[in-house]
Amino acid sequence: MEGLSVVAALVVLVIITIGMGVRIVPQGSKHIVQRLGKYHSTLNPGMNIIIPYVDQVPYKVTTKDIVLDIPSQEVITEDNATIIANAVAYINIVSPEKAVYGVEDYEIAIQNLVQTALRSIVGEMSLDSALSSRDMIKAKLKEAISDDIADWGINLKTVEIQDINPSATMQKAMEEQAAAERQRRATVTRAEGEKQAAILEADGRLEASKRDAQAQIVLADASREAIERVTRAISDKELPVMYLLGERYIGALENLSSSDNAKNIIFPADLPNAVKGLLNR
Amino acid sequence: MLEWLNTHIAYWHWLVLGLLLITAEIFVSGFILFWFGLAALAMGVLLMLVGIPITGQLLLWAAMSVALVFLWLKFIKPNWKDRTTSGMAMEALTGQVGSVIESNIGRPRGRLRFPAPILGEDEWQFMSTSEVAIGERVKVLNISGNTLVVSPL
Repeated sequence: MEGLSVVAALVVLVIITIGMGVRIVPQGSKHIVQRLGKYHSTLNPGMNIIIPYVDQVPYKVTTKDIVLDIPSQEVITEDNATIIANAVAYINIVSPEKAVYGVEDYEIAIQNLVQTALRSIVGEMSLDSALSSRDMIKAKLKEAISDDIADWGINLKTVEIQDINPSATMQKAMEEQAAAERQRRATVTRAEGEKQAAILEADGRLEASKRDAQAQIVLADASREAIERVTRAISDKELPVMYLLGERYIGALENLSSSDNAKNIIFPADLPNAVKGLLNR
Repeated sequence: MLEWLNTHIAYWHWLVLGLLLITAEIFVSGFILFWFGLAALAMGVLLMLVGIPITGQLLLWAAMSVALVFLWLKFIKPNWKDRTTSGMAMEALTGQVGSVIESNIGRPRGRLRFPAPILGEDEWQFMSTSEVAIGERVKVLNISGNTLVVSPL
């Protein structure tokens, strides 16, 4: 009976011992083994054997990439403008033993590192360059913290800046600035237009005067030509001219006599002489 | 008690125990109970042929189980290779061979390039105890953060 009890206890002990000694680690994680409180080894994915009673598995670490959200914070740029920035970091635990023994909580540690590094990087930039050069910030950020986290066996895959937003007052000022700039351009454009219009108008007047002058010259030339021709025509023949003038004269007298307010019309008796008098002959 | 057990434990008890243990393996991870079940089945077959006292039966079963588990862990399982290094950054990088594109002569670190991207990057900084010139091929020994520890081939 005693023998049976001992054997039964032994069988139970063997089963439990073997069950405890076998560790199945799923792909994508690694387990840390401590032997009597000291680090002993890291278990890779698959089936592993540890010695029960002296070995424990206090940490189970994921070796998949971890997406760390870096909370948004206020950052002051070199030209004393406040912007609000947040980021997301992708990290991978390369040496689990360093990650669990080297730092109390690597997630908080890396979040704080990224935040402070971001502050110092943006603090060296002007507002405009901080808003426009995310890639540069990203590269500097990665450079700045990858050495710090190397000690914890963590590889920083990438840091992505999610949002960079000016603070509310800053945004208002920037919008005002943009509006003022547009306003300025509108005013300038309007003035330019007016100036252009005035110039064109003056040009038009100048052109018109030139043409007017030319027209007068042409007219004068034509008059001169006409007078010259008449002069040439009447140089020594008086009678046709006299006849024409007389006809006109009589016509004018007819008009006079037919007007309403004409009471008396006196015809000159000597018509040829009257016409001659017109011609100064 | 012992007499009762000696007279009442038949070979089929062992067979049933074995089948139950193998079934229990489905619900318990570790692939260990399976071997106990196999040992129990073997015990049942052995009982059909020869009579063994109950204490001997239990001892023999325990010994067979341990032996089977030992054989399984020592000789069969190690031959199963990793089929992927996905999610195992250290294993994915160590042993890889790249060529130097920036020498580390006179500087603490150089740069190397892998023929295909590893962990999403094909260019890495490296440190080495020996000085390597541009174009030399180096092998990755270890990773320190974003810097590889290499040795020339």
